[in-house]
Amino acid sequence: MKIQVTVNGIAYEKDVAEHRTLLHFLRDDLGLTGTKEGCGAGECGACTVYFNGKTVNSCMVLAVEANGGTIETIEGEAQDGVLSRLQDAFDRHHAVQCGFCTAGMIMSARELIHHTPHPTVKEIQDGLEGNFCRCTGYEQIIEAILDATGGYREKEELVYVREQ
Amino acid sequence: MIHQFSYMAPTELDDLLALLDTTKGGFKLLAGGTDLLVNIRNGLLKPDLVIDVKRIAGAGAITYDVEKGLQLGWATTINDIISSTEIAKHYPLLQACACDLASYQVRNRATVVGNIVNASPCSDMAPALLCLDASILVATATTRKTIPIQKFFTGVKQTVLQPREMVVGITIPSHTKDSKGVYRKLKRIQGHDLGIVGVAVAMVEGRLRIAVSSAAPTPVITDDLPLDVSAPDALYAVERIINPISDIRCTKEYRRFMVSEFTKRLIQEVRA
Amino acid sequence: MYENNDPKTLTYVGKSALRKDVGDKLTGKAMYVSDMKLPGMLYAQVKKSPHARARIVHIDTAKAEALPGVRAVLTGDDLSYRIGLYIVDKNILAKGEVRHYGEAVAAVAATSLEIARKAVDLIEVEYEVMQPVLNHMDAMKEDAVLVHPDLGSYEYLESSFTPVPNTNIANWTKLRKGDVEKGFKESAYIVEREYDNPSVQHVPMETHVAIVQWGPRDTVTIWTSAQSPFTVRNLFCHTFSLPLGKVRVIVPAVGGGFGGKAGIHLEPLVACLSRKAGGLPVKFQATREEEFSLLPCRSALTYRIKTGVSLEGKILAQKMEMFWDAGAYADYAVNVTRASGYSASGPYEIPNAWVDAYTVYTNKPYGTAYRGFGHVEFHWGVERHMDLIAKIIGIDPLEFRKKNALRPGSITLTGEKITAHTGNVIACMDAVAKSIKYGKLTAAEKRREAETGKKIGKGIALLQKAPAMPSNTATAAVIKMNSDASVTVNIGLTEIGQGSTTALAQIVAERLGFDLDKVYVKLEKDTESDPYDWQTVASKGLLMSGNACILACEDMLRKGYAVASHILKAGVEDLAHDGERIYVKHDEENSISWQKIAVGYAYPDGESIGGPLIGVGSYIAQGLSNLDKQTGQGKPALDWTFGAHGIICEVDPVTGEYAVRKIASAFDVGKVVNPSLLRGQIVGGMLQGLGTAVCEGYIYDEAGHLLNPSFTDNKIPTSRDLPMEIETIAVESSQIDGPYGARGVAEHPMISVAPALGNAIQSAVDADLLHMPIRAEDVWRAMHNHHPIDNWITKTPTGSCRSDPAARRHTPDAAISP
Repeated sequence: MKIQVTVNGIAYEKDVAEHRTLLHFLRDDLGLTGTKEGCGAGECGACTVYFNGKTVNSCMVLAVEANGGTIETIEGEAQDGVLSRLQDAFDRHHAVQCGFCTAGMIMSARELIHHTPHPTVKEIQDGLEGNFCRCTGYEQIIEAILDATGGYREKEELVYVREQ
Repeated sequence: MIHQFSYMAPTELDDLLALLDTTKGGFKLLAGGTDLLVNIRNGLLKPDLVIDVKRIAGAGAITYDVEKGLQLGWATTINDIISSTEIAKHYPLLQACACDLASYQVRNRATVVGNIVNASPCSDMAPALLCLDASILVATATTRKTIPIQKFFTGVKQTVLQPREMVVGITIPSHTKDSKGVYRKLKRIQGHDLGIVGVAVAMVEGRLRIAVSSAAPTPVITDDLPLDVSAPDALYAVERIINPISDIRCTKEYRRFMVSEFTKRLIQEVRA
Repeated sequence: MYENNDPKTLTYVGKSALRKDVGDKLTGKAMYVSDMKLPGMLYAQVKKSPHARARIVHIDTAKAEALPGVRAVLTGDDLSYRIGLYIVDKNILAKGEVRHYGEAVAAVAATSLEIARKAVDLIEVEYEVMQPVLNHMDAMKEDAVLVHPDLGSYEYLESSFTPVPNTNIANWTKLRKGDVEKGFKESAYIVEREYDNPSVQHVPMETHVAIVQWGPRDTVTIWTSAQSPFTVRNLFCHTFSLPLGKVRVIVPAVGGGFGGKAGIHLEPLVACLSRKAGGLPVKFQATREEEFSLLPCRSALTYRIKTGVSLEGKILAQKMEMFWDAGAYADYAVNVTRASGYSASGPYEIPNAWVDAYTVYTNKPYGTAYRGFGHVEFHWGVERHMDLIAKIIGIDPLEFRKKNALRPGSITLTGEKITAHTGNVIACMDAVAKSIKYGKLTAAEKRREAETGKKIGKGIALLQKAPAMPSNTATAAVIKMNSDASVTVNIGLTEIGQGSTTALAQIVAERLGFDLDKVYVKLEKDTESDPYDWQTVASKGLLMSGNACILACEDMLRKGYAVASHILKAGVEDLAHDGERIYVKHDEENSISWQKIAVGYAYPDGESIGGPLIGVGSYIAQGLSNLDKQTGQGKPALDWTFGAHGIICEVDPVTGEYAVRKIASAFDVGKVVNPSLLRGQIVGGMLQGLGTAVCEGYIYDEAGHLLNPSFTDNKIPTSRDLPMEIETIAVESSQIDGPYGARGVAEHPMISVAPALGNAIQSAVDADLLHMPIRAEDVWRAMHNHHPIDNWITKTPTGSCRSDPAARRHTPDAAISP
């Protein structure tokens, strides 16, 4: 089936098999491999993208459903080579380790900030619940989002116990 | 996805219903896809045709009327429920159940109708819909009927729906509006998880009702109980409707115990 | 490499430098193997066994081969190679018999993933199902079904392992220190118990994936999501009898490893498919479901501990029996057994010790390395046991630990003497105890108990771990100066998210005195262009590669000074440098910039000296020895990292539901190189440990089918599962031979989270927990004296790391003799 979609502001017209997921369309047909597949079953959130203004697990959306729609992915997050506020905060707060969940995490964070501009820690935890991260333990991600939304209070990274 | 199918997305409800009537071969309706597409991926379903029901105007509508109550479209999503101020005001129990369903991005896609036609024993929306006397609007190309939700589920993953029927909406009547209700779900982690057991307790028109998920082949609800029902009587009423099993998530003993414990606590909560 | 590590004089070491690897990861540009597509690339799929143990009667691949687009089909009969890290016991595809659910029996490469999947569906396999042995305790019985009847004929690493032919014992590690029987006789108390835990999955967000191209003249290129490119190359070449120079292993960005990608996994199979398909590149990526059963997991453990304690609370003797569930293949499990055997007591001095640690084959998906390398599992037993003993003898658990903890002068199980520079476990314990106000409830906590009806408990658990590695483990670093006086560092250590790249860059910048922005570390690893590194495992990267980097810096400086000495007409001893130039100490105007000598210096008349400045540093573990096979005595530990967790937990005394209100974690890291990186390791490891403690575990039915091979029923912690409060504490007692005094800490935060939680729950509601994970139902059962559920191998549709209760040796709550 022929579909027309706008991805990160660029209009595409492509022939796509009906059973192809949006995730594989983005990765394999458009070469936008920043969006990752972590489970293929809508559980882990690594494939989270914006679809018509809402976050979805793109592994659980058919590409043909996106016909006429608008998609935004991690590749559209930085503008003119400048990291977005969220990306910059993720960098400064060490909110990235292996990086495989990062794209989905930033999409979910963006959605959260969109409907809750100044989220509490609890609201951030609730908003990211669908995005698994096995590396960071989430804390530095939460701090990065707090920082990007003006809610971060500077604190020591560690308590030190040094030899006398 | 390995299984190949064709895809149609009618833009008029009549066209859609006509399609259901005439299509040959196996078909499946696609709303949020959060169950359907996982099942196709896992090879559990192999439809020839997938019919997208979301392209029709009003598919996701939420309308509220003091007289008629609440009307949900066939593609109203769980997050639509959560963000509706009218539902917050008049049907808070629906929101309480919706908030505990899966993760945010799944709730952006998953629909209320999908959650009930899937007929999982652990449906999160069913306890609220049972407590609030929801009716399921069912249509074919030529017929329309209304089925009370109490009569909708017939077994694990089974409903009264016939092959060419489609749920075209859910009505929640005005007489259950402004009912106080609370929901509690036992999970293995704090994050998104299927319910190990779920209990909803609602105060509707001066009566108490208790709905339970994940403790019987279908979601179940007690008969109406007096508001001041004693704890033993309430537990007896619940005991009569549940029939929990042991599985990899939990044993039946603990399910039974947690249903009764949640019931006790939620009754106190709802009365408070 | 104990140098000046006074924080006041250090520029980069000890500071939270930004990560060197995140630019591409944040923008979606980082290239993982799962993102790669090569011209002409084929896609592989495997046919997997639905049975735990069965004879393969016949495989019919005709229909698959006839499918258009299929380029290669393989079955076990086509391949005559066996692989194995320490015991060569695994066929690339099952031959004759399948040994676990999910094992690969045939494989296909086709022009698309869809065709490959269809082709696999068309392969017909006839099995004769046989009775599996599922429980590792059953597998120890004399009449048990043998998973590997030919064990006696397998090749294995004889210096370290002891398989027992005609049994299911893949390895038996023994340790004997002092005289345990005498110790027990002198003891006032004897406490004996059994602890256990099921298998779990690593769950890297990127599942295992490899692309292999078997080119002309047997030149093989492998792109793989792996931790240890050089180990992949070594084992690959060993299996296929190829010279090392013909095989090139490339590791781009890796989406998490945690030990699951430490060894060799998919590469040989994918290589065989490529060869069969005429040398086209072939890609195989495991689905999440395959990650759970085709690929390895962490071994289950049953741990029996018998401890003799004096009237004063000193441990006099301890007998430790470990039964590790290898699953169907030995892989890393034999080495997990060995490393856990010599560390089995935890951070305590045991004057008379006896360890028997067995690796036991069963018909289940096989065990491999997982963050902590056995220590997560056995510390569950050790640290629950310490609380139990303290309770029985009526002494505060913290005091009891302090009496017996390792301290300078203590002798470890293997006979190593602890010094002031080994690390300080008591300081870690005291720090977390202070953080959670251990031993009492605050007024606010008492008020909260009264208001909520819940019970608040506090628990502590200690931990230790040394890198588990061969005595000759080695690594190297090459530092190349670019003509703009920046440097590029090549090391074989992979960046799997742990942050070594950044920490090592800081060490290089510090040692060179260069701006950190001028230090680049090559991120992609390539066995053809990067210097050797044994493996990216064992928390040894910072210490070993850090030292190699320092040595390489010194080598480069020495070479630069030699050139400058000519140009400046001064002795090298009179020279000094900064980030810009080398100068004469007593005549600072007389200097030459690094830029001018970076790739060779040209005098004004055109004559030239020097050449590209390249520093090389090699580092090998020093002073380690193989352990005596009968007594376990020797020196296995490059360094010990000690730590402790303290947990405040709130428990519902009726339902058993609980929540972690606070966790404090302290590690003696020697020297903090980067506080942000360290906190990321601590919090990430802690939450992974909490997953193990709370919810994770493989569940089988009685036929050996894995019942929860996906995220639907194998939950991992989400953002909502973070403890309400987290404190991370760094203790710094310098490691003399560590870079700037630092030692590794990547695995340690995961260890002992579970027993700290178990101890906290016990202190709250007196639920006596013997197995993890600790589910709400387990707490409920323990509180109300219900029979514990044994559903890890299940008779309902559910399974067990635990043996059939009837078959288990009766272990009384605690055998006490006054």
